Amino acid sequence: MTQAQQVDRKLSPAAGFWLRNREVLKKEFSVIGTRVPRIESKNKVTGEARYAADMKFPGMLYGKILRSPYAHAKIISIDTSKAEKLPGVKAVVTGKDTIGARYGLWRLREETMDEQGLALDKVRYVGDEVAAVAAIDEDTAIEALDLIDVKYDVLPALLTPEDAVKDGAPEIHEGIKNNISVNRRIEVGNVDTAWDKCDFVMSDTFKTQVVQHVPMENLASVSIFDSTGKLTVYTSTQSAYFVQCLLAMALGMKEGDIRIIRTFTGGGFGCKLELMGDAFCSALLSKVTGKPVRIAYTRRETFVNSRQKTSMKMDVKVGVKKDGKIHAVEFSTTLDGGAHHSYNVTTTMITGILGTLPYRIPNYRYNGRHVYTNLPVTGAMRGHGAMQPVFALDHMIDLIAKQIGVDPAAMRIMNATQPGDVKIPNICHVSSCGLQEAIAGSAERMNWREKYGKLPDGHGLGIGSYGFFCGALYNYFNTKRPYAECWVRVNQDGTVHIFTLMAEIGQGCDTVISMIVAEVLGVGLDAVTIKSDDTGIVTGDTGAFSSRTTMMAGNAAKAAAEDARRQLFIAAGAKLGLKVQDAFDIKDGNIFIVRTGESMTIAEAAMAHQNANKGAPVLGRGIFTPSSHLQEGTVVSPTWSFGSQVLEVKVDKETGQVSVLNSATAHDCGIALNPLAVEGQLEGSIHMALGYALTEICKFDDKGYMINANFQDYKILSALDMPPVDSIVIDTDDIHGPFGGKEAGEGLTIPTAPAIANAIYDAVGVSIKSLPITPEKILRALKEKEGK
Amino acid sequence: MRLPKFEYLGPKTVQEACSLLAQHGDKAKVMAGGTDVLNVMKERKIRPEYLIGLRAISDLSYIKADADGIKIGALTTLTDLANSAVVKEKFPCLAEVPMKMATVQIRNMGTIGGNLCNAAPSADTAPILICLGAKAKIAGPKGERVVALEDFFTGPGKTVLGKGELLVEIQVPNQPAKTAGAYLKMSRVSVDLAIVGVGVVVTREGDSCKDIKITLGAVAPTPIRAKKAEAVVKGKKIDDALLEEAGKIASQEAKPIDDVRGSAFYRTEIVKVYTKRAIKQAMEQAK
Repeated sequence: MTQAQQVDRKLSPAAGFWLRNREVLKKEFSVIGTRVPRIESKNKVTGEARYAADMKFPGMLYGKILRSPYAHAKIISIDTSKAEKLPGVKAVVTGKDTIGARYGLWRLREETMDEQGLALDKVRYVGDEVAAVAAIDEDTAIEALDLIDVKYDVLPALLTPEDAVKDGAPEIHEGIKNNISVNRRIEVGNVDTAWDKCDFVMSDTFKTQVVQHVPMENLASVSIFDSTGKLTVYTSTQSAYFVQCLLAMALGMKEGDIRIIRTFTGGGFGCKLELMGDAFCSALLSKVTGKPVRIAYTRRETFVNSRQKTSMKMDVKVGVKKDGKIHAVEFSTTLDGGAHHSYNVTTTMITGILGTLPYRIPNYRYNGRHVYTNLPVTGAMRGHGAMQPVFALDHMIDLIAKQIGVDPAAMRIMNATQPGDVKIPNICHVSSCGLQEAIAGSAERMNWREKYGKLPDGHGLGIGSYGFFCGALYNYFNTKRPYAECWVRVNQDGTVHIFTLMAEIGQGCDTVISMIVAEVLGVGLDAVTIKSDDTGIVTGDTGAFSSRTTMMAGNAAKAAAEDARRQLFIAAGAKLGLKVQDAFDIKDGNIFIVRTGESMTIAEAAMAHQNANKGAPVLGRGIFTPSSHLQEGTVVSPTWSFGSQVLEVKVDKETGQVSVLNSATAHDCGIALNPLAVEGQLEGSIHMALGYALTEICKFDDKGYMINANFQDYKILSALDMPPVDSIVIDTDDIHGPFGGKEAGEGLTIPTAPAIANAIYDAVGVSIKSLPITPEKILRALKEKEGK
Repeated sequence: MRLPKFEYLGPKTVQEACSLLAQHGDKAKVMAGGTDVLNVMKERKIRPEYLIGLRAISDLSYIKADADGIKIGALTTLTDLANSAVVKEKFPCLAEVPMKMATVQIRNMGTIGGNLCNAAPSADTAPILICLGAKAKIAGPKGERVVALEDFFTGPGKTVLGKGELLVEIQVPNQPAKTAGAYLKMSRVSVDLAIVGVGVVVTREGDSCKDIKITLGAVAPTPIRAKKAEAVVKGKKIDDALLEEAGKIASQEAKPIDDVRGSAFYRTEIVKVYTKRAIKQAMEQAK
């Protein structure tokens, strides 16, 4: 894909919509379903938006973190005296200045909590936090790092799961034998007896690589301990809530004494979802110095010291009937977790759920194991726990389809999950599902029937299908707060203020929450202001992850707006001569009685409410916590999104280069609340997922040092490399989602890697089972094939 | 990353720049556009005490045509090179090269002199210029000298520039009739350094190749001529078998390494394919 592809952008807004359930839209929404540009976009494009690294406070100090040069070593001693004497240095902290607390995301399982803000006794990867400095400027802080004398006793570095699980390998975390820290198993049906009933069985091994999220904005925090001993942290994060809770654990404070303010956040994708060194070290340094302290990560630090995507080695066995019906799947995977757990305790389980989501698999066995290595920490990333298994299984389907002579798209439709399916009893139950329509829709848009298998040599079509959470949460974090919370205040001038904690990180949730509230209250978006950045106001919301935003924060906002609307109705009813049988409506800023047409403005109703309540404003409150009838400790996702993608590629058989010529994606996102946002998510997803499929990989040398932690050698695609993107929105009107909406954030990243692998297989007949699918791998495979 | 501390020197003339270079020697580094040097300084790979910025020297950015060919000032930006009417007319294969480099923003800052003096084995401007027989005019304490660009590079990041010397001009000679060239670049994505660059300039006579130069980038410590491959093609009628043969021989002349961008195996294969394609493309252009 080196040559700039001059392409016509084939975005087809209204024309691209395939509304399965048009009945729903007859409700005549005024805001929902319209194409709304992001409400904060002007702040961003004008430069008004201040990001964490832009923050300045009187007396603010600048922090830098000293990082381990070794992948695995014991710390013998740390001498900070020279650094402390450097003029301009205000504090140097090490593990000894912490309370030594361990923290982690699975608070109900203490043994999984394996992180400490600064290393106490050993370092576990190149880049592990060893000490931190606060100085009057960043140059001085950098200079001071060189003056800290750390003596290490270097241990053997375990850089692959294969090495880490060997008997006799050193324990990266004490007491974790063979460095295997998590084992998860799922059994459905009876796999052992199922193989005999299959007409065709295929086994193979697939590998995915480590990639990084590469958000546009690097991580950054400013921490301020004021003279009352309370802490405020301005930070770039997907979850102010997790930062608040984990900081409280790490510093030994009450959650309520810590206030997190999320600054404008330039992308996250999963790498800003926990407590990282920027927030922890700046808080500790602020505590010691009594001054505001800012730590802004470099791009290398974001690459190495935030999070990376978990690589997996997957052994897959699939058995089918001769018509293509899947009968049994056995799926075993090893996760390379790097030095700490991060989200991988969860990943080890959900990989087994998401792998089975797109297709009906009557007999299914999953074994997942998580292995520590001396590499940077891997964890959640967009398409969490799905991109790896779906790459393997969905490519395997094409390999089988070829063998048994079944059309791959038809085989997918035949096996597709359908509404009401119980995927895994007590764990994964499906409500709405438009997968069959999505497969058919994306195939049709790309002229599958005319083109598949009939394109000229070197050209190919490939399809991939997927399903994803709409807000999953194992409550192993043990949150005591609502999963999502919202307040809506209607002011006496008719303006509406929304308070929530759901993180706007570039995905458009401030906009969609505002749209939901505006719809309920019958006002225009210009009347609405949203505040979503401060744990000092609304406290309940775990943050932007697992594609939970629209489902959870949207439902909480809808409930809050309905509560406010009820209060307005009561106030208006008193003035308008309401009878018991009367129905109210609210529209265009007015409340009216349907029977008589008698009306008043929302501002007047809000004023009437305040007059009757000694000035107390209309304040609606809403929460959303899904209740689960499923077994405790399983994943809670109220519903699931589904979809399918078809890509057309051209492969240069002499160089192995792949050009993506065209694409169509059909996504079942319930009702598209903001179609513009869905399309934006689709474009972003294809961009991200094509990089995952074709070019992106974190590379390490034999000492565990990442050798391409920069954009010169970690290649993400540019706009020049993007294919045309065509979207088909499958509206399924989910009963759980606000106004029938489901997720559109992560699921869309899942189908691309298998679709690419399948398209290459169609184009030149070689199957590449490890990501990224580089030209070199294709060329080697072609040569091998010719040699045979 | 922040830049380490350094002193910025802004000479206004070439002589002044040369004397600063002579005075500070290894402690100084020249900045011709800044797109490379600032990055390596930020990564602390080099820590010069002095950065000699050439921005204030106004008479180093030009493209002039004369009876011998064209002369390109060392501070000519890649954008200006791509947009130059005279370059497009006389050497279209050279005008196409900058468009395969970096991004619009970097092309607006990066200069041809900077690209050459940075002396990356993958420098995109080098192969086609070497094929065109370009020369480098160098100013220094002892006056000016001119060397063939082919002899300009001595290793990765190394050139023939001595103490106090500065590259000031690239001279590209007029070519015989029915001469054309092509530069093919293999990279991982559109905006990238070359994994392999192949420059070819041919002079055509009927269906035969009267003369040819082939220069390979990113497959040896410096850009290298593939002279054995040239000898195979020179004077011959071009057909597919000959092109295959030329590609194969060129790939044997390459001395690639494995690095983060590509393997030696892949580079060798691409030299094979791109030499073939570049000759074919150049022959088409030379009709």
